[in-house]
Amino acid sequence: MPGRGGPRCGSAAAGMWRALSGGRRLLRPLSAAVRGTLRRGPPPWVAGAPYGVCAETRGAGGGGAGVLGVAAAELRQAADTVLPKFNIDFVVDLLRQENAKDVCVIQLPPEIKYCDYFIIVSGSSTRHLHAMAHYLLKMYKHHKEESDPHTQIEGKETDDWLCIDFGSIVIHFMLPETREVYELEKLWTLGSYDDQLTQMTPQSLPEDFIFGLSPESSDHLETRT
Amino acid sequence: MALLTQQLGLSLTHLSSAVIQRHFSITGASLAIQKLTRVRVVDNSALGNTPYHRPPKCIHVYNKTGVGKVGDKILLAIKGEKKKALIVGHKMPGPTMTPRFDSNNVVLIEDNGNPTGTRIKTPIPYILRQREGEFSKVLAIARNFV
Repeated sequence: MPGRGGPRCGSAAAGMWRALSGGRRLLRPLSAAVRGTLRRGPPPWVAGAPYGVCAETRGAGGGGAGVLGVAAAELRQAADTVLPKFNIDFVVDLLRQENAKDVCVIQLPPEIKYCDYFIIVSGSSTRHLHAMAHYLLKMYKHHKEESDPHTQIEGKETDDWLCIDFGSIVIHFMLPETREVYELEKLWTLGSYDDQLTQMTPQSLPEDFIFGLSPESSDHLETRT
Repeated sequence: MALLTQQLGLSLTHLSSAVIQRHFSITGASLAIQKLTRVRVVDNSALGNTPYHRPPKCIHVYNKTGVGKVGDKILLAIKGEKKKALIVGHKMPGPTMTPRFDSNNVVLIEDNGNPTGTRIKTPIPYILRQREGEFSKVLAIARNFV
């Protein structure tokens, strides 16, 4: 079993300086293993964007796990989710068991009140994705008591993107092509500096967009003094 | 104003600003999003952002009532084609402590539920998470929440 638990960096505002130093340490050994476009130059952490660092591990290859394990021990935070047993380590272990490729765990700061951990996972085929999602759901149902009801798999009709929302953990199962199109890792780690977001701004609203159409104009008659 | 006083038969001096008597019908305040509502596409899909001489309009609301609120699927007529979309904000005030937007915002989705665009810049309300339905994908490509 390679170094257990994908290395994750805490990035709460108080511990941001630790995240910076640890983040840089993690990013350098990752740069060789990661797809080229994911990291460009010095990451903009110093600008105060308190986003968690994405730790990317290859499930099958296991390259660089030894190096990452050293930094991970220092920066691993106590896993805290709704359930004591169904926590992030458990989920990542299950994903490794399922031969999930490119497990990417991003820890989000509490300012983003969405979830604590954002996981993106690749699968080799549609059946693989469905099998992983159903297996995770089954393990969740087995381990949960009464606290968090109604967890469903979203995207069952699609063939390239499924996702499950466990409250404090959100897992996305995608095919590698879909992952390239959406680039969720970039969005959730870089925040405003994401390149797809910056490319969006030149596109303006269409000419005839009626934004300020007020109800008093022409739809009906109204009297006011 | 002059027409009004003629109809009521009162002189201007007697008309106080607080009392208004209307003798013609007016349409009620608009509900959230229904058929023929013009909407605004807020993601970065090509279909939603290329200019066209007609704004995208809702032609069907997939709801028991014909009124769409945040989280409802609708059918849009965009650039001469039909496309499904998800409502992420409307001008009508909703329950207390939920955000009200200045425009009826909509995100294009495919028939299988995948979003057509890849990023959303406008704020998305958190109540999408509590609603039953497949919203995690739209939340995943959103940038900021409200």
